[in-house]
Amino acid sequence: MLYRKAGIFHTDYAADRALFPIPADRWTIGLLLLIAATAPLYMNSLYLSSYLLPWLVWTAATLGLNLILGWAGQFHLGYAAVMGIGAYAAVHAVRTGIPWEIAIVLAGFTAAVIGIGFAFAALRVKGLYLALSTLALQFVMDWTISHVQAISGGTQATLQAPDIRLLGIPITSDAGLYYIALVWCLLVTSFMLNLKRTALGRALVAVREKDYAAAVIGVNSFYFKMVAFATSSFIGGVTGAILIGTFYHAVTPEQFSVDVSIQALAMVIVGGLGSIIGSYFGAAFILLMPGVMNSFISWLANLLGLSLSLETLAHLPQALYGALIIVFLLVEPLGLGKIYNNIRDYLLVWPFGYVKK
Amino acid sequence: MRRLLCSLAAMAFAVAGTFPAAAADPVKFALCYDLSKAYTFVTPQIAQAAKDYAALLNMKGGIEGHPIDVIVQDHGNEPQRGIECYEKLKREGVMVFDMLSTPVSRAVLPRIMKDGNILLQSLVGRGDAIDGDVFKWVFPIGPTYWGQAANDIEYIKQKSGGKLKGVKVAFLYIDYPFGQEPIGILKTLAQKEGFDLQLFPYPLPGNEQASAWTQIRRYNPDWIVSWSLSKMHIIASREMKRNGIPIDKYIAVNWLNEVDINNIGPAEAKGLKRGTNVAGGSNHPIIQEIIKELYDKGKGNGDRKNLEDVYYNTGLAIYSIAFEGARLAIKKDGWPLTPQKIKDGFESLKDYDANGLMAPVTVTAHDHGGGGKTRIEMWDGAKWVPQTDWIAGFSDEVWKVVKDESAKYAKEEPQK
Repeated sequence: MLYRKAGIFHTDYAADRALFPIPADRWTIGLLLLIAATAPLYMNSLYLSSYLLPWLVWTAATLGLNLILGWAGQFHLGYAAVMGIGAYAAVHAVRTGIPWEIAIVLAGFTAAVIGIGFAFAALRVKGLYLALSTLALQFVMDWTISHVQAISGGTQATLQAPDIRLLGIPITSDAGLYYIALVWCLLVTSFMLNLKRTALGRALVAVREKDYAAAVIGVNSFYFKMVAFATSSFIGGVTGAILIGTFYHAVTPEQFSVDVSIQALAMVIVGGLGSIIGSYFGAAFILLMPGVMNSFISWLANLLGLSLSLETLAHLPQALYGALIIVFLLVEPLGLGKIYNNIRDYLLVWPFGYVKK
Repeated sequence: MRRLLCSLAAMAFAVAGTFPAAAADPVKFALCYDLSKAYTFVTPQIAQAAKDYAALLNMKGGIEGHPIDVIVQDHGNEPQRGIECYEKLKREGVMVFDMLSTPVSRAVLPRIMKDGNILLQSLVGRGDAIDGDVFKWVFPIGPTYWGQAANDIEYIKQKSGGKLKGVKVAFLYIDYPFGQEPIGILKTLAQKEGFDLQLFPYPLPGNEQASAWTQIRRYNPDWIVSWSLSKMHIIASREMKRNGIPIDKYIAVNWLNEVDINNIGPAEAKGLKRGTNVAGGSNHPIIQEIIKELYDKGKGNGDRKNLEDVYYNTGLAIYSIAFEGARLAIKKDGWPLTPQKIKDGFESLKDYDANGLMAPVTVTAHDHGGGGKTRIEMWDGAKWVPQTDWIAGFSDEVWKVVKDESAKYAKEEPQK
């Protein structure tokens, strides 16, 4: 009833290949886009700058990582390193006087080049061995940044990022920065949505399912793995640059350490491998849940009049947050995206549930 | 989905907004601390000390009649959560922030400088921030790592009869920015004073130091200056035993406490030295008063045994300075407070040592470090015995490094 499918005819290729054939989906997306586009008008600057903005940027990163994990089926444990390469490349470029617009693209290409370099080595091995090789990328990057002062910016290891400028106009307002993040996130999202129906996307899925089988039907798995690494690194690099430009305003090695790589991996897995909506959920869950949990527990303790010690107050949310991840993955191993799909599948035929059976 | 997020966030906001009602407007201090990840060996004690001292002062009428509100929130050493904490509390009228984490302090710094709020960063963050001309809003009161390293060399100089020529100093450090920081100043001093310096890094997480110590044994230094944290000292002590190096050559950075001494073994640790900017032990009058007024009445803000910990004293030192700075601000410029007034208050601290709790600090508009004095203490098997007065050695060299670094930062600023 909510998702009326009456009147949808697959009579031509365009209709058949439509991203969202069901009108209800289009309406939902339109509404969400409207809410997102007008967010600066009604949302206070705290939520805009400290919750929504980082969430969008991290969603873009999650989508980039999902490309290689969920679509191409290749492990990547060094995604933060890739983002870091982009971030440092962009900041150094801007500091030498290159405009931000070009610097951001440059960040993507630098990350892609270094990402491919590692892909060459990594593609000779598979599965867990590949995971370890990419983890090595992370450690090599950490080491390089903390030991090469020309990159890290001296003994203090912080590099202040100049204000982001587009077409010569400095963008400093919360709303402006938010729109940059929003546009990038939407760009990546639409790329990923369209990837599904291109030859590239299908080739990646073939490689993911079984690379020998893919080779048998004429898909050059080596080539497509490299394309996947390069594309995903490009997205990662640009996202890293945007993260610095819109949120951190300074680069330090810790912002792209191994913990962050693990977090990005968690975003993909909790959200759902190969799921776009899941990437949004996953990023929100991993990024925002600890803070929300924290406030929730202190609120609850206040309400019940419990005087918990500082340490308990800090550790309890962590424990709950960990438990929540386990519960969600037990309920639905394919992640939050799949939970959303289950609900949608149920509503597709609601109230005539027997149609499915 | 965004709506759900908003309502969740709104809930979080509502939660954080519930403070006990007070008669006069409170003076708020935000402690965005890492209470759950890397800094947990020190943050609970410091937060407890801040809360205890605030409670004690509130009993006596607060700061010039205004109660003190100490807000503690966990950021798990994650820069983005530290930023969230800063952005949230900034909007609730907090003007003084303390992150007590180098990564988070670094991440918040650009925002602090832009917004003009006060960032306390005693013992963490970038060392050149003591240059008040450049870092107007940052107050790293207490010694920087550079200053501490220089003071250690000053102590070694005193012990070697006033000259360092031919003295062999090993610098043992954990190979990441915290440990690497003193290298520059040590090299400068080695050149100037003519002592022999060798570097011995060991990798994160610091559980494995065997190769560094084998090399140290071959080098056979007169002194070992160590930039390590908590359990790394314990591993170092084990390696010293294994390699037959006497422990009294070991000078630790300030991050070595009673828990670590107990883990090494109080008897085994005899002769071990550390640099510190606070007096250890719980027999200081302020701590005695806290025990009498709070802990004896069951109103303490944490575990009583933490009072024996030197990090509790460190916290008390940081916050006695902060509260005194705020008091001076209200006294000088009156209520309501602004960041500018608090800054002026801090900058008029003069020879303040909270009754002997710590090295006296004098903060000026140029020097936000307060002088950077420390002293070397030795563990005698039962307690810490001061080996020197409060000293600030080679301050010209330290300031030269500070000025060099802060000039680089200042040069970047106009690009903004």
